[in-house]
Parts: sequence; C-alpha cells; structure tokens
Amino acid sequence: MSASLQKGINVLKEQVDSTVASFFSSCVNCGMCAEACLFYTETGDPKRTPINKTEPLRRIWKSDYTLLGRIGKMFGLTKSVDEQLLTDWESLVYDSCSMCGRCTMVCPVGNDIALMIRKTREGMAAAGHAPEGLIGATKRAVTIGSPMGVKLPALMAQISHVEKDTGLKIPVDVEGAEYMVLLSSMEIMNFPEFIDAVARIFNKAGVSWTISTEAFEATNSGIQIGVSDIAKILVQRVVDAAEKLKVKTVISPECGHAYMAIRWEGPNLVGKKFNFKVRHILEVLDEFRKDGRLKITGKETQKLTYHDPCQIARRGGVIEQPRNLIGMFSDNFVEMPDNGKMNWCCGAGGGVSSNERADEIRLKVFQRKKDQLDEIKPEAIVSACSNCRIHLEEGLEEYNMDIPLLSLTETLAEHLADD
Amino acid sequence: MSRISNDAEFKQALHNLSPVQQRIVAASFVEHILPLSKDNRLKNITKIALDKDASDDELASALKSAKAATFDSHTRCGSEGNWTDQAGYFVARAIMAALTPLSQSKAGGPAWQAAMHSRIAQTSSLIDSGDVAPTDNQWQYDILSNYLNAK
Repeated sequence: MSASLQKGINVLKEQVDSTVASFFSSCVNCGMCAEACLFYTETGDPKRTPINKTEPLRRIWKSDYTLLGRIGKMFGLTKSVDEQLLTDWESLVYDSCSMCGRCTMVCPVGNDIALMIRKTREGMAAAGHAPEGLIGATKRAVTIGSPMGVKLPALMAQISHVEKDTGLKIPVDVEGAEYMVLLSSMEIMNFPEFIDAVARIFNKAGVSWTISTEAFEATNSGIQIGVSDIAKILVQRVVDAAEKLKVKTVISPECGHAYMAIRWEGPNLVGKKFNFKVRHILEVLDEFRKDGRLKITGKETQKLTYHDPCQIARRGGVIEQPRNLIGMFSDNFVEMPDNGKMNWCCGAGGGVSSNERADEIRLKVFQRKKDQLDEIKPEAIVSACSNCRIHLEEGLEEYNMDIPLLSLTETLAEHLADD
Repeated sequence: MSRISNDAEFKQALHNLSPVQQRIVAASFVEHILPLSKDNRLKNITKIALDKDASDDELASALKSAKAATFDSHTRCGSEGNWTDQAGYFVARAIMAALTPLSQSKAGGPAWQAAMHSRIAQTSSLIDSGDVAPTDNQWQYDILSNYLNAK
C-alpha cells in the first residue's frame, strides 16, 4: 500500500464519528437523494447518486466500525478502500458534486449527505485524489492569499479605479470600522464593479467600513478540496485581521461557499467563537433597507427572477433578504419553480468550476436550470454569487438563451437615489 | 471648443451624447486598446460599433459576439489569474458595454462604462509587470474632445 493511500485511509477513518456512523447505519437506500441531485437527474447515471459518492467513507465505516464488517475483514470478505476505488471515485466526488446540499434536504432519515461527501473529500485529498485545478487553487490560497493568485497590488489597482469612478475613498485598514468587507478573487478579477457598488451603497448608508490588506480574500479552497487544516488557516487569517482592526461585523461578499466557510464552518475550524459577527452582504443590505438607510429610485422594467445560490439560501438561510431587496427596484418579479431552499444548483459550486475536467458535465447538468428558466421565461436573472453568475452566463450561452445576468448588489447600487 | 481635462467634464460630455454617438465614442475607446486583446473577433465587432449607419441586426449580432468573447476570456473561478490575459477580458467587456443599448446599460451609460473597462484593461496589462500606478486618462479625454470638435 502506498504512503498516500495509507494517509487517505487514515484520514477517512478520522472522519467517521458518531454522526457519520449513525448516517450510514440509518440509510435505507431509498434513492430519494438521487432525484434531488442534478448530476443524477440530468445524466441518469446511477453512479452519480449522492449516497454512492460516499462509498469510500462507507467502506471504511463498515470495515472498521461495524461488527459484521470487522469479522468480514478478518476473512477478507469486506470490500476495502484501494487505489482503484479512489481513482474511480475522484470524478464522482469532485466533478459530479457541487456540495449544494439538496440531497440532504430530501433524505427521509435526516442524513446530511453533503457533509458525508465533504468528509469523503478529506480522505480523497489526503490520498492525492483531488483535481489538479483545486490543488492549484488551494496552494495559491495558502501561499499567495488568493486561489486565483490575486496579490495586494492588483487589488489596490482595482480600488484606485473604483475611487476614480465613484469619487469615493475606499477605506483600507481602518481600525474600528463597523464592517470589514471581504472580496472574492472573482470579484477583483472579473467583477470589480462589485467594489464600486459596495462603496456607493455604504457611503449612502452612512456606515463605516474597511477592506483589510492582510485578509481581503473571502473564498476558502480548503473547504472545497476537503482539507480542514488548510480551511482553518484561511479562516484564521480573516479572524486575525478582523480582531486587529477591531471591526464589529465581517461581510462575506457575493460568493456562496465563502459565506458558508466563514460563517458556519469558521468558528468550528478555528475552535472558538468569533468576537465579531459574520453576515452575508445581502443580510447587511437588507438591514440597511429595514433601517431606512437605502433610498432607491426607479424600477427595472424587465421581468426578473432570482437564482438562489445554494450556500447562501439552502445552507445559509438567506432567502427572504434578496427578495426584499429586489422588491425595492422591481415590480415585475417571478419566482423560479423550486426556488429558495430547494432551488437547483447552477452546477458549478463546490469547486466544480475550477476543475477543468468537469467542464462537460457541468454544462450538461445546466439543462436543469434551463428547464427552470424555460418555465418562467424571465428577461433577466439576478443572483448574488460571482461563481453562479459566470456559470449561468456560460450555461445560457451554451444553450443559446439570451438572458442578462445581474448582480443583486450592483443592481441595487444602480438604483441608489441622489441626495 | 475647449478640451476636456477631467473626469467630471468627461462624464458630463458623454452623458450629453445621443445613443449612437455614445456607441461610436465608446468604440473609439476600445479601438485604442484593441492591441491588449488576442481575440480577433473584437476587431470586427469594434468596426461595426464604429459605423454610425450599422443596422439593428448588425448591432445585435455584434453584441452577441461581444458577449461570447467576454465569456471566453474571463478567468474561471479558482484558476490562476494572468492579468495580461485579463486585459483582453476587459477589452471584450468594453466593447460589450459600447454595444449595450442605453436602456440596458449600467450607471453612466454605454460610453462611460466602456471608458471604465478600457482603463481597467490598461491597468490589467501592467499588473503582472508590477507597474500598477493608475493610467493616464488623457487619451480618452482627447478622443472625446476630438469627436466633439469634429461634429
């Protein structure tokens, strides 16, 4: 057995706690998770059912943590985890799962299948069975501070543009600011207008905010690839910066998994309660709305719909806030079927988008989103995740659908009323 | 007519242009930064955008091509960014902004948006070399001043 395989098996063993054991024990093989997963529904491939993706972890649980499994192992009757299994499962665990958590929602016995897949990734990554794209992104996140290699001078260049565009000073490293805004590299590289929008909205709202030069990156590749030690390092950077600047609230930007990573996994990863709040940008904007800090003018005339990013809505609970905000600039809004917590993933979350090997399947499973859109025929789609946004645009292009994509934060900024 | 010398005058002058004039001026900005893109499609798209007599069908087709060029040139989530290549993405976004109808354009209008993307494209092309000082925008003021003076 190779050292990497042994390491992977050891890590898989570490993942089996009472929760995982109870999940595997209680699975009744009903198949409901399959029908909730777009990687199964759009391919019809039984290998891609969510529970099947956990097979390496299940085998470890069975062979090492069940009586029958242990007896079977003594006589060589229990299926083991070997190199071939991990090779075969790599594409299922990483290419065919966006960690969207829809499977978890439908499990009749309450198994958190997405968590089980997340734990399976821990062992896969330790054994060296993770996609090259995600490995590269994770290395850059640790060494450079950004999965896309965005360095501070590049951010400062974008900030300089925003300052010229808006005429507003972007506060950097301001101690005692109320809010510390994180950014995803996608926003810095592809959508710098998000910074522009935040600057204009926060200025109008009259709140103090800042960007930290020591921890501006919101995303967490450690979560996506499944290496908790790295995820912890990345969360700790944000914690250190927030504590150093003594901010009251850290804001996760328009990125799905970044929010889940810092808000829900963050405290557990670093092993302590944060002494600041973590909020998604939509939560903060909705608080501004409630406080009467947002004065809006004009309405979008086209028929809008909203794509709920999985990690923000289903796994984050931010469902009403975007609708409240859209209501400020639209009277022509239509919900997708299966919206909110049961919305279908765009197909590119959970590291799928940074995995070139998954390009074909992520565009294939976009058929599900196409079907949702065909049913309501919107004239524009609003969302709040840069990764969803890019993938939706690619998917629409692939399926010859001419529907513009709008960032909720940016659209709100477009409608800010002059004083 | 006096020359434009700052962003306030620049923005106001762009705002005063008709939709067709905005498109032509925006395309002129893009023409200036076209060498930053390796995508040959953008040359033809810019040519159509510069044509004051371009038909609605030609403009719609050019906008579609500009969108495709934008999707093709973005940096995918999690992949290693190359700012020199990223300059090409912002060139594509600039021409997309130029061709976007005024009613669908973001704040400031098509020409302002194209100007901003053009500036970011220029800066992007310099980031990998470590020279990230804000670029001089005089060339944009000159393009607009010359256009207004030639009207």
